[in-house]
Amino acid sequence: MTDTSKPGFYEDAGATGTFLDANEMVLNMGPQHPSTHGVLRVILKLDGEKVLGTECIIGYLHRGVEKIAENRTYTMFNPYVDRMDYVASVSNGLGYCLAIEKLLNVEAPPRACYIRVILTELNRIASHQLWLGTHALDIGAMTPLFYTFRDREEILKIFEKYCGARLTTHAFRIGGTQYETYEGFEQDVKKFCKFVAPKMDEYEELLTTNRIWLQRTKGVGLISAEDAIAMGVTGPVLRASGVKWDLRKAQPYSLYEKFDFEVPIGINGDTYDRYLVRVAEMRQSLRIVEQAVDSIPEGPIMAKVPKVIKPPVGEVYVSIEAPKGELGYFVVSDGSTQPYRVRVRPPSFVNLQALDKMVRGALVADVVAVIGTLDIVLGEVDR
Amino acid sequence: MAIAPLLRKMFMVDLMKGLNVTFRYQDPKEVYTEQYPLERPVIAERYRGLPRLNVNPDTGETLCIACNLCATACPEHLIAVGSQRNPVTKRKEMTTFTYDVSRCMFCGLCAEACSTDCLELSQDFEIAQYSRDDLVFDRERLERGSEPTVYTR
Amino acid sequence: MLDYITSYFRSTVTPGQANNQFWALVYILIVFGGVSMIVMIMNWAERKALAHMQVRLGPMRVGPHGLLQPIADALKLFTKEDIMPAEADKPIFWFAPVWVVVVAFTGFIVVPFGVAHAVTDMNIGLLFMLGVSSLGVLGIVMAGWASNSHFPLMGSLRSSAQMVSYEIAMGLAVVSAVLMTGFLGTGMYGIGEGTASGTLSMIGIVQAQQAQHVWFVFKFFPVGLVAFVIFAIAMVAETNRTPFDLPEAESELVAGFHTEYSGLRWSLFMLGEYAAMVAVSSIAITLWLGGWMRPFASIHGPSIAIPFFWEHPELGVVDMISYLVPAGVLFLLAFFCFFNALRMPKHPAMRPQVIGLWALGVVMGGIGLVLLAPPVRDRIQDIFWFVAKIAVFLYLYIWYRATFPRYRFDQLMRVGWKVLLPVGLGVLLLTGLIGLSPELVTWIKGVMLWR
Repeated sequence: MTDTSKPGFYEDAGATGTFLDANEMVLNMGPQHPSTHGVLRVILKLDGEKVLGTECIIGYLHRGVEKIAENRTYTMFNPYVDRMDYVASVSNGLGYCLAIEKLLNVEAPPRACYIRVILTELNRIASHQLWLGTHALDIGAMTPLFYTFRDREEILKIFEKYCGARLTTHAFRIGGTQYETYEGFEQDVKKFCKFVAPKMDEYEELLTTNRIWLQRTKGVGLISAEDAIAMGVTGPVLRASGVKWDLRKAQPYSLYEKFDFEVPIGINGDTYDRYLVRVAEMRQSLRIVEQAVDSIPEGPIMAKVPKVIKPPVGEVYVSIEAPKGELGYFVVSDGSTQPYRVRVRPPSFVNLQALDKMVRGALVADVVAVIGTLDIVLGEVDR
Repeated sequence: MAIAPLLRKMFMVDLMKGLNVTFRYQDPKEVYTEQYPLERPVIAERYRGLPRLNVNPDTGETLCIACNLCATACPEHLIAVGSQRNPVTKRKEMTTFTYDVSRCMFCGLCAEACSTDCLELSQDFEIAQYSRDDLVFDRERLERGSEPTVYTR
Repeated sequence: MLDYITSYFRSTVTPGQANNQFWALVYILIVFGGVSMIVMIMNWAERKALAHMQVRLGPMRVGPHGLLQPIADALKLFTKEDIMPAEADKPIFWFAPVWVVVVAFTGFIVVPFGVAHAVTDMNIGLLFMLGVSSLGVLGIVMAGWASNSHFPLMGSLRSSAQMVSYEIAMGLAVVSAVLMTGFLGTGMYGIGEGTASGTLSMIGIVQAQQAQHVWFVFKFFPVGLVAFVIFAIAMVAETNRTPFDLPEAESELVAGFHTEYSGLRWSLFMLGEYAAMVAVSSIAITLWLGGWMRPFASIHGPSIAIPFFWEHPELGVVDMISYLVPAGVLFLLAFFCFFNALRMPKHPAMRPQVIGLWALGVVMGGIGLVLLAPPVRDRIQDIFWFVAKIAVFLYLYIWYRATFPRYRFDQLMRVGWKVLLPVGLGVLLLTGLIGLSPELVTWIKGVMLWR
């Protein structure tokens, strides 16, 4: 329960000494709400429609993933990692495998890296498509949801054919990939690329120039570049504020330096810019996939990794550019088969801090739009 | 004052474009729904569904050699392999095999670890049962495998 | 007795004007039943049309292609538990949905389905309808207040502010249409010498369009069109539909002012909302789209007479074709039923649905045949064209819901006050100026000569 005697929330929001002013209202957008993207509880202090302050209460989806890691071996923990950001599970797996590979000082062979890149970028498109559908639904347009989910189905079919599961893929292993590409993988991916490019144009036709969409998203949820960097916000939110920072270009991993793609940057840092940045990112991911699938090198798919993984004593922090931001894994090894500590830096958790700053002075309808534009997944926030 | 954007605003061109997109999608060919019990979905070969213990097709004997690698690999420790040593051939033989599907996350580590082609995750996705105990599979259920459910309504 | 009944079929005035209580009661029952039927069909059509626009199928299991879904929904709602919040204001909580439904249905007294097919024709019919639809706001405010909870309160306050502001824009557009009834000239820009008596009566407005041989949406093109567009936007806001449906926005306020209502009470709100949609659509159709007149009502074509089939040599070929259109539409619907019945899956569990669909097709074909019989065919025209136009409007409502995002509340008010109101005033001024242009020209000439 919030300690109302402590300075902080209520004083900060401008309350005049008493608990609530006469025309102020506390609204609880509770854990069960159609548009909080999971079980997020936001307590809003309102003056009529204007928001004076917010407080986020999280933890409704906490499952103790990091604690579980201390009792599983490194290979056994791999499936658990997918369940954090369940929308972009391939990226989670990639980050974890890269971290353990760094601990072990092995590198995945080029063929495995190319396959990893293809799957990760397809997953980025899928995650952004889900984001677009749910964000549009929150703002009131109910049809883009169905269109993006239909297109996302094609990606999930490719995942199913490759690794056997659609959502919690467990696609990668420490040292490379387990599965060889199936018969017709390249054709499927190429067919998908040709299929989805006009669909992305359709999403834009429905939304980008629509006057109602522009009015709902332009100028809403502004965050400046300095504030974003100060709060540690990463991913499309940071890039929409004008900061040119993408881990795929700044600290390339898994052979990303071989691919030619751009990093879209926004100007104002409002919701509309975040929308444009993510749609542009989808197209850039498509570009990466098309380049990669044309040139997968031959070779092994798994590096020489011992059957029982016992990394040397040490610690490592590896971060990747997940669809939602910088996803980091800090792994401490004490020489045994089970890690001593696995700490996950979830992008959604850090991005959620920016909610308060973005929403002060806006209307209640904007709170919903801003939660949507931050692209949070509660599985990742709570772990 | 640019004339083209003003005209576009007056005649609501952006709204008309959106209306055009939704109108075009009413074509019955665009419908993406599969009417489930009547149309079964196409499942990939590598799909990780319900587990199955394979038997030798000629002799009907189990392919399991009770090496216990699957139980060691499982993150949830839900496999229990019972074995006894055959005094004649001096090899271990599997007697009981318990697999708790209710806790399984279908990660596939057990099937990867299996040294013969015995334990496999099949394409069955219709897992629902009426009681928790029915979800703990014993050897007989695992070897029988699953048939596709027949829907009458 | 039989003479009494058949004499009524040849009447040319409404029961209200003929002071005939019996027929007025019959008409009230028919209108009430008809609007309820339209609401049920609209429920099904909304789910199916919305689904097809969203690349899915909508209800398919309850009855063939979900045709019995509204009945299943109604049964479910009637048998649901009646929950009332503990601190709610009980009499007002009970009364609010009743008020909304009563107000929505009262307006249908003056809606003209044909030249003699209204319950009554008040000489202030239009004013009556607008006034009655404004009373609906009270029901929504009562619902929000009586629920004693944040979300409904905010929803009802927003809704009342929205409805009141868009009524002004509606009123301006309506007045400019009423001005147009005062002209004697025919055609799109005809003004004529002198003035007819401008009228507020709904039947009178359609008859003015008939006399001027033009639908008011095309009168003084584009002024009439702009007035119609203003009314079309305002009527969507008036009935709380997307893109103006913030009061019942599912993702923001759970369900707005009807959050705490469940079961039968909620279904009354839904009934009131759909009936209000039909009511404002009828106003739009009467004022701008020629009411019960068919398109191109002034073109008759060469005279023709075919024995046993078409015995009206005074009417022309075009009239004959248009008299066959209602039956044609029903035959088309029957054809759709048969076509879909053939395409149904062959599973034995689907057999009742297939049989039902064949039966529906046969019934539609039968009604089509009935509509071909000359006594029915000659009298069903007005009603058919009016209902067809209502159907087009309701489809537009569904189409908007599928496509547009939602306006935020302050932007919604901005559109109502800062965009629609000035444009409405401009349209009103223009209509007046164009209408008075002969006098204006004379006056200007006089002024110039005097100088």
